[in-house]
Amino acid sequence: MSDVFGISISALQAYQTALAVTSNNIANANTPGYAKESIDLTAAVPQTDGSAPIGAGVQVASINRAFSQLAENQLNTSQSSLGQLNSLQNYTGQIDNIVGTSAGGLSTALQNYYNAWSTVANDPTSTAARQALLSQAQSVASAFASTNTQLQGLNSSVNQGIQQDVTQINSIGTSIAALNQQIVTATANAGGQPPNDLIDQRDQLVSNLSQLVGISTTTDSTGAVNVFIGNGQALVLNDKATALTTVGNQFNASQLEVASSANPTVSISSQVTGGDLGGLLASRTQAVDPAINQLGQIAIALNQSANAQQNAGLDLSGNLGANLFSVAGPQASASSNNSDSTTAAVSITNVGALTANNYLLSYQGGAYSLTNAATGSAVAFAGNGTAGNPITADGLSIVLSGTPANGDQFLIQPTAQAAGSFAVALTGTSQIAAAGAIQTSAGGTNTGSAAISSGTVVNAANPNLLNTATIQFLSPTTYSVNGAGSFAYTSGGNIAQNGWQVQISGVPATGDTFTVQSNAGGTGDNRNALASANLQTQGVLSNGTVSVNGAVSSLITGIGSQAQQINTAQTAQTAINSQAQQSVQSVSGVNLDEEAANLLQWQQAYQASAQALSIANGTFTFFMDSINGTYS
Amino acid sequence: MRVTQSLSQTQFLSALDSLESNLSQTQNQISSGVNFTTPSQDPIAAGAVNNYDQALSQSKQYTANGNSAQTSLQTEDTALSQLQSQLQSLRSLALEANSGTQTGEDLSAIAEQATQIQNSLLSLANTQDGNGQYIFSGFATQTQPFSLTATGATYAGDQGQNQVQIAPGQTLASGDNGDVVFNQIKTGNGTFTVTANAANAGSALLGATTVTGAGGYSGKTYSINFTAPNAYQVVDSLGNVVTSGAYTSGQTITFGGAQVTLTGTPATGDSFSVTPSGNQSLFTTVQNLVNAMQTGASSPTAVPGLNNAVATALNNIDQAISQTSTVQASVGGRLNTITTQQSVQTSQQTQLQQSISSLQSPDYASAITSLDSQNTTLSAAMQAYTLTQGLSLFKYIQ
Repeated sequence: MSDVFGISISALQAYQTALAVTSNNIANANTPGYAKESIDLTAAVPQTDGSAPIGAGVQVASINRAFSQLAENQLNTSQSSLGQLNSLQNYTGQIDNIVGTSAGGLSTALQNYYNAWSTVANDPTSTAARQALLSQAQSVASAFASTNTQLQGLNSSVNQGIQQDVTQINSIGTSIAALNQQIVTATANAGGQPPNDLIDQRDQLVSNLSQLVGISTTTDSTGAVNVFIGNGQALVLNDKATALTTVGNQFNASQLEVASSANPTVSISSQVTGGDLGGLLASRTQAVDPAINQLGQIAIALNQSANAQQNAGLDLSGNLGANLFSVAGPQASASSNNSDSTTAAVSITNVGALTANNYLLSYQGGAYSLTNAATGSAVAFAGNGTAGNPITADGLSIVLSGTPANGDQFLIQPTAQAAGSFAVALTGTSQIAAAGAIQTSAGGTNTGSAAISSGTVVNAANPNLLNTATIQFLSPTTYSVNGAGSFAYTSGGNIAQNGWQVQISGVPATGDTFTVQSNAGGTGDNRNALASANLQTQGVLSNGTVSVNGAVSSLITGIGSQAQQINTAQTAQTAINSQAQQSVQSVSGVNLDEEAANLLQWQQAYQASAQALSIANGTFTFFMDSINGTYS
Repeated sequence: MRVTQSLSQTQFLSALDSLESNLSQTQNQISSGVNFTTPSQDPIAAGAVNNYDQALSQSKQYTANGNSAQTSLQTEDTALSQLQSQLQSLRSLALEANSGTQTGEDLSAIAEQATQIQNSLLSLANTQDGNGQYIFSGFATQTQPFSLTATGATYAGDQGQNQVQIAPGQTLASGDNGDVVFNQIKTGNGTFTVTANAANAGSALLGATTVTGAGGYSGKTYSINFTAPNAYQVVDSLGNVVTSGAYTSGQTITFGGAQVTLTGTPATGDSFSVTPSGNQSLFTTVQNLVNAMQTGASSPTAVPGLNNAVATALNNIDQAISQTSTVQASVGGRLNTITTQQSVQTSQQTQLQQSISSLQSPDYASAITSLDSQNTTLSAAMQAYTLTQGLSLFKYIQ
């Protein structure tokens, strides 16, 4: 009879525990990281006394977490990818908004600027038209400046984000290390029974960490989890956390990189992928910096084409035009790791070959190598870096101050500074060179029918450009220039001298003269203004095939495509992540209906056990009553 | 697959987010009338719209350029019309002076009128546009181009000619310089010119001159010398006799591709020189005419000299009239070109607007359809959620 009592009581206790586990599941149905627990019941081992063994009741073997390491790892990987894409999407989305459909107002400003040149061409002496041109030029400069400022602002926000992420990663790393220690101790104290709630908490922290940075984990035999980032850089080893820290970029101290506190001067940014931190680093190198560079490339192209035309014309005072715009040149930064103080000077020699890339110039084993800083692919170059034989590549010319030390590196940024520094250099309306530099005239006593073209400037730098030159026909088929030489005449052929070029066509008579001279006083001339307005569609970049506006369109399409691509990837990754969450939840999540069924099941079992106890009691009482009756 | 309540809640919320954001984007498209507000919504179209925008802005600028050139050319056209009428008046005066019935006083009066015409011509040559720029001074629009001198006028402008862009790759001149209009006027008949020797004593008068023969005028200088009142000799610049013959009034003399008709009675030793046409300023022509008339008025004996001088002047005036007509025709042609090009630009602008709006404006039919279907999806999702969330076993446990 005592067996029945014992068995019933073991059952009552077991089902109470089971009801508690179920209640706990219901209570934590919405707790993040909580893994559904289930009770593992086993039959108590019967005590045999030689006869047929009778069961000894039920006992709780363990309380288990419903958990799949595979599903959890998949979720963490997926969260890292999603975290990176979320962060990237944040930045590409902002760039998308900043650049917008008008390149931050640049495309409208450019249209107005070129139209202002046309207005000057229509009325070259009008101060109002010239003033309008200067104002429109200023608008172009403002559009460059404001877009560039906003893009630079994104880089500051990347820096802040990196610092916040590093702080948060360190805090989580410390908590994981502390939980590791508690779990190991608690497991030992509970005789090998795992402390489920602590493990839930730790796994939740690991999951949170995976949203911040891509990680890999291993679980050792004591139950502690080790967390690594990048290429096996340990963040948590058992109960020890190694903090991350930030370090200035070797070429640009204001740009923060990630380093490990174990080796705080060496950047490990290139190894960090995934999560918000990976996204921030990728945003900088893949989205923000390229946008700044492309904008700078456009600024340099506009600067070059506008200034070259301005230099080839005459202003209202009869002087050759001064530069309309100014822009900062390429920048070469020596690495802070360089072992000597060799410097590099970079200049642009051919805007048509210029790219929006940054380059890394390294000196190793007595030889230079030039690579694309973003992709690491080799860039073909010529020269040896001396003033007499500069290193030339992609329209750039690089001269080093001496022979660098072995291992020295220089970052070449041809266009990064351009958009921010783009400014209008002219101050006065009279400095606008609307007139052509030279004018041509036919002699008043010419009897032939030949006519001279108005002439074009081919080399504005020629010091004799504005000198007066006389072309005299020695015969209808030969001519001399300034009384010298005898050149064969072809109607319509080019005659070049002093940096200009003219064509004479028709039938000249012997003695006919034509004069090419400075156009000083020709204040009503609009040739240079006309040419400046026509630069709108003239190719400057990509070997003269892409106009300034074409480059703006490419920028808009490029920025838009990148944002679109990230949006698509983010949407896809969200779906993948939702599936990963689903598989984790399908294993570890709490289903309330299931728990309700369990409640009923445990309740019924509990009630049945209580009934068994009651029957045992009844049986015992009957037995006692029977005995009492017999002997009373 | 086990589904948990908290997962279905999370998934419903994220689905709700994306459905609502799609709905709001479609709604935005319809209410703003713009298909995309950031390039990422349609990168290719955004780049293309930027290109079309530029082309549209450029085309509008071409129209503006055309308007500006139209104004300049109309100003020039008016000046040229007035020039033409002044030249006709001058021509009438010259014919009047040459009618042979004028007294010295008449000639003085005619000379006075011619001087006034000269002043009008000067003011026409110094015409300024609405902005105070001289229209006939080439590039030097702020320099007064013409000033009278004792022998005609000096030209202070240059031979520049401004161009205006009215279409891609199409420019046209927005004016003509004073050198072309007033200075580069061929003398004589445009090929050669015949001048009576100022010392001629006879009354031989220069008549019509024409270029003849297959090869045209030889381009050489000749002199027609009268060896007797009824005999002439044509010698070239080297003194070689080219041709000779008997002379009667109205005689046509042909040599070296030139044909010269002379009337009246020459005296022995009279001569006419024949030279290739050069350029002569209109003002020099007028001054010479005025000088000849004034000389004629003061000495009646110089009538043949006056007549010959007037005849030369008439030739030159005719050349000026023809030059003015040529320039005016060219101005008219340019105005026509502008008008044609303006309408081309207008239709191009319409096309560009259409291209832009086809890229930029939403397709309302499909936008409204998707708004409708997104709306249906959203309300179905909401309904499904409330339905499934109402299901719970706990409801049945009493």
